Order: sequence, then structure tokens, then C-alpha cells
Amino acid sequence: MSVQTQLTKGKISLKGSARIVTEFFNFGINSILFQRGIYPVEDFEVKKKYGLDIWVSNDISVTQYLKKIMDSVEEWLALGMINKLVLAVNSRETRETIERWQFDITVTDESKGEEKQPQPQAKSEKALQMEIQAIFRQIAASVSFLPIIDEKCTFNILVYADSDAEVPTTWTDSDPLHVKNAEQVRLRSFSTDAHRVEAMVAYRRDPDLC
Amino acid sequence: MSDYSTKSAAGTHAAHLSKASSKPFKDERHVNPSPRTMGRPSIGGSGESGVLAPRKGGPPSPRQKKTKASQYDRFIPNRTAMDMASSQFNIARSDAPQPLDGSTIAYQETVANACGVSMNKRILTFKEEAPTSEKEDLRQVYSRPALKATASTSTKRRILNTPERVLDAPGLVDDYYLNLLDWSLGNMLAIGLDQSVYLWDATSGDVNSLCQLEGDAYISSVKWTADGTYLAVGTSEGDVQIWDAETQSKIRTMSGHQARVGVMSWETHTLSSGCRDGSIWNHDVRVANHKTAELVAHGGEVCGLTWRSDGALLASGGNDNLVNIWDARTTVPKFSKTQHTAAVKALAWSPWQLNLLASGGGSYDRHVHFWNTTTTARLNSIDTGSQVTSIQWSNEYRELVTSHGFPYNHLALWSYPSLTKIVDIPAHDTRVLHMAMSPDGQSVATAASDESLKFWRIFETRGKSARSGKGDVAGIVSASAGSSAGASGPGGSAAASALDISRPSYIR
Repeated sequence: MSVQTQLTKGKISLKGSARIVTEFFNFGINSILFQRGIYPVEDFEVKKKYGLDIWVSNDISVTQYLKKIMDSVEEWLALGMINKLVLAVNSRETRETIERWQFDITVTDESKGEEKQPQPQAKSEKALQMEIQAIFRQIAASVSFLPIIDEKCTFNILVYADSDAEVPTTWTDSDPLHVKNAEQVRLRSFSTDAHRVEAMVAYRRDPDLC
Repeated sequence: MSDYSTKSAAGTHAAHLSKASSKPFKDERHVNPSPRTMGRPSIGGSGESGVLAPRKGGPPSPRQKKTKASQYDRFIPNRTAMDMASSQFNIARSDAPQPLDGSTIAYQETVANACGVSMNKRILTFKEEAPTSEKEDLRQVYSRPALKATASTSTKRRILNTPERVLDAPGLVDDYYLNLLDWSLGNMLAIGLDQSVYLWDATSGDVNSLCQLEGDAYISSVKWTADGTYLAVGTSEGDVQIWDAETQSKIRTMSGHQARVGVMSWETHTLSSGCRDGSIWNHDVRVANHKTAELVAHGGEVCGLTWRSDGALLASGGNDNLVNIWDARTTVPKFSKTQHTAAVKALAWSPWQLNLLASGGGSYDRHVHFWNTTTTARLNSIDTGSQVTSIQWSNEYRELVTSHGFPYNHLALWSYPSLTKIVDIPAHDTRVLHMAMSPDGQSVATAASDESLKFWRIFETRGKSARSGKGDVAGIVSASAGSSAGASGPGGSAAASALDISRPSYIR
């Protein structure tokens, strides 16, 4: 199924949008894993996407892990049951969350929102790509202000779902895993016709700098 | 019991909310379990689902709880600390599930909104842990204290306080005015010990006695030709002998001086000899009538004499505290400098700036003056603190090394033109009388009246040439023969070929 044909038809359906957003998450998470050094650099390879070169993990275990997550996420997105996706970077030794990337998802589908005005222009693929590009560039640029991560880390993906969402056994409840003494930086957002994704990163405030 | 929750029962997900409650017991789940879903708090208890649920060993079933409650059989360690009234109250109502109260829900919703927590969301995390990578992150490895640029490490050359090698020099005459040490291009070190001249081959370590004087005569100076084939030996009788180093035979003797020949300097085929009577004779060693010129301008013994590498100028220093610069074609000094207040033995032309001359004064003076011989101006001065006995410029670095006598008997390394002292090397126990530079420019040899000959690796090369690192004391000669004219010092111009080519070479 091609998202493109759906696009040319005018506007994206919720499902197509879900696919786009999930893809974005997949590449975004890979990119963050690379930039922050969660996995060593040689485990990554370059893929072209959104008109950019994005570093994607070529480690089988990581890709499979992410695939399982993304499958569920896509389902929830299609149903509109998910409203946040969080990537929490935890230190392996202290088990503390040192960084937290949060993506807020709002559904802008007009079938759900009655108060919406007449549908905004169907978004061209180009414009969408530019927006996503901007976020990736920001993620890469965020290295400049994010504190250096010296320790070995692992990550957790959290999903803020509706309470009536269907949760497979592979998911459990969890803490929000907020960062203590956090500095927050809001990043750019993008929106397909059906979803709007906003990005934000929270990191530990450096005690020396304050 | 599956984890599917199909009802929209319960459900605050936030731990904060449980703290907002006012129930005494924290663990609401145990007291007020909901029969339907294990681990999901009921509405009445404003319970907490803010914990990772391992789903093992859930709360006791209601039936079990009932019996316990009625029996009051729990172990209470400290009665006085127990709030008996409220605990009894809680236990008493343990079996009655709290009904869904509309007002309670509304209350909770407002509280939730106030806390910024939405009521009907749950945070889910993927159970499986992310795969770990055991590999060392190379980025961390390489981003650690990096900046180990080769440039910085190589410029940090080590100058040891200890000599590379020490040789015995018995019988060295303790006379400031003599010049008894010279190092040839062929890596041979000539030293005059009392009545003999010894040749030490730095490559092989062999020692040969070249000549032996008769009677009361002693060796007063030695000087190699620029290419290291012939050695000029000056005696206390006033003779200058030319020896062939390879065959170890005397080629000729040039006599005529009235007093000892304390210093000599070669300029291709011309040998200048400085005498105790203050005269400097130029000899053409190829012809029988060797004396070509006599330069008289010193009132005291000539103890410093050195031709510039291009052979245009001759610098001489004497016991009369004068520094004279002679043009090769005249017998009258071009100019004279009187700044020194003691005998000037140390003279050295700079290898990279042709008109730069450094002169060092004796024990009363202790200064090193730098002269521009074109403009005759004094460029700089250093007060070294000790009697200056010799100066050597480095070919590779913008530095010079001075050897000293009274009172410290040390070697000092200076950078030029900043004239900052780089290092002091305590060299000898007595005055460092003579200093010679190796042909590769990396080491200097010093001789003192404590009868030792020491080698110091001061100008370790930066390693750009193929033969770097191995000095001449132990190893290979790195100079090429057939170098340009003149020897302004033992180092010679040929050493430049082994060194960094990017450095400015001799300005011709």
C-alpha cells in the first residue's frame, strides 16, 4: 500500500498517517540511539530517508526489538489510542533516567474533532518531508547542548496509551521515568493530515553550570 | 488472569495520586483488593498503579483476608506505636468493596487535572529489555583526552640532565684560552690531551692516538676541515700541523707563529690561526708559502675565531675583550665591538640568519651578545650568570646552547629570539672548557678539566628524517659529504640534509 497514492488523493487516512508516524519514530529512535552513543557507532549504517542520511542500527537484536515495539505503536496510532511516545535513556549502573525524549501525539483527524474548521490543505509530501527533516536535524544538533553521556546506557520506550487500549502481554505498566532536575528543550514538530507529533527532550541539569 | 482490562474500571495511573490520598496505610492494594483485576486498584482506594507490575505474588485473596481480619492474628511488634482505632476500622471494612461513587470520581478527576495527570491514560513500557551491546563504544575510546596531535608530542622533546655517554679525558689542560675539542663531519671527535691528540670514532667507539708532541710542547688547538678529512693541530710552540685523519699521517707543518696557536678556523682551503700574541694568520694550505694574510687587531691572546659559513666574514675574539669582524678580503677589521668586559672565547654564527653572531664573555663579563654584522648593531644580550666558554646554535631548532665555567659549570639552553632559558644542565664538576656539536646536530660533546668528556643529546630531532632518533654518538652518520663551503662550527652545513627539509636551510 502506498502512502503516496493516498496522499495524491488528497489527504492521508489515519492508517497511512499512522504508518508515516511510526516510520518517523523508528528512524528517530535509531537516530537518537546513534547520536547519544547508546550503541557503538559500528553497529549503525546509513540509510537514506526523508532526503537525509540517517544512521540506523544494523544490529539484528536491536532492529527486531524496535520492530516489535513499532508494530504495537502503529496499531495504537491507527486507533488513536496513543498520545505520547517516550524514549528514556537510563544509565545501566544506576538505573536512573538521564535523558528523556518525548513525542506528543495528537490526532487531528476531523472525524474525531467536531470543533475543527474546514479541513486544512492536504499536506504535500514535500512539506511533510521538510518538517521531518527539520526534526532530524534538530536531533543531530541537540548533541551540542545535551550533556555528554559517559556511562553505558540502555533505553526504554514508554507509551502513554488510553486506558481502554488493547495491551498485548508484551507490555506492562510503568513509571513515567522522568529525569530528576530536568532541563527541557522543545524541539520542532511535524504533522501529517491525521496526526501531529511534537518533540521534546529532557535532560539532567548539569549541577556545575547552574 | 490475563492482563487485558476491558473495563474502564479504576484507573488512576499516577503514583502522585496515591500520595494525595489520606488513607493511613500505604499499600491500599492489600487492604482493599479488587476481586476483578489483580494489581489494578479499585476506585475506592485511590490506589497506586505506579509500580512496575511483576505480576508475581499478588495480594492475598479476599477470602483469606476476611479470616485474617476476624482473627486479629497479625503479629504486632509494637502495640503502642499502632493506631489501633484506625487500623481496626480499616480491617473491619476490608471485605466491603467500595462502590463507585459519582462524587468520588468527580473529586478524583479534578484532583488529577490539578496535578496535570490525566485520568484515563496509562503508561506502558515494553517488557523486554533493550538489547545491550557489549562492545566498547569506540567513540568514547577515541573521544577521550584526545588532542594527542603528533605535533605537540614531538615538540615536547626530552632534554635529559644526564649525559648520554661519558668518556675519560685524562690530562686535559685546564686553560680557558685553548680550543681542544672538535667533532668532524665524519663523526670523529678530536681531543687534545696535553701532548697528544686522540681521535674517537663516534660510530664505532674506537680510539686512536693521532700524534704525540715532544718536549714541553702541548696541544693548544684542534680543528677539522669542513669535510672532515684533515685535522689541523695547533701547538704551544706556534706550529700548525695538518694531519690526514684516514691515514693518520701528518701532511705538513706550518710554522712561524711566535706564540702558541690557541684557536683555528677553516674556510675551505684557508686556515686561520689565532695566536697568543694577538695576531691571526691566514694560511693557504695548498701552497708552500702558506701564509696569505696577517690580521692584527687584538691586544691579547686570540681565543675565539670562527669563519662565517659562506666565508665572507671572520669573527675573532680576544683576551683584550674585543670582538673583531673581518671581511675576508681585508686585513683591517670591518668593525670592533667592545661591549664585553672579559675575554671573548665563545663565538658562533647563526645557521639560519647569516649575519647573526653570538659572542660570549669570560668570567667577569658572563654576557652573551648578539650582533647583526651587516648593520653592526647589537641585537640582544643575555646575562648568563657564568663565564661563557662556548656557544653552539642548533640547526633544527631556534635555540642555542652555551657552555659555562665559573661559577656554575653548566650548560644552558636558550631559545632565540625570545632568549628564554629553556633548561640548565649541570654538566661538570669543573669549568666546561670546550664544546663541540655532532654532525647531525643532535648532540653536543663537552670537555672539562675534571677529565671527563660528556655527550648530551640536547637537540633531539623531531623525527621527520629517515635517520632520526639515532644520534651520532652511537650510530650512523647522517650527513652527506660534499657540503657547502666553510665551517662555522663543528656542526657544519651538511647536517641540514638529515633534518627537516621544511626548515629554512642556509641562506646563501
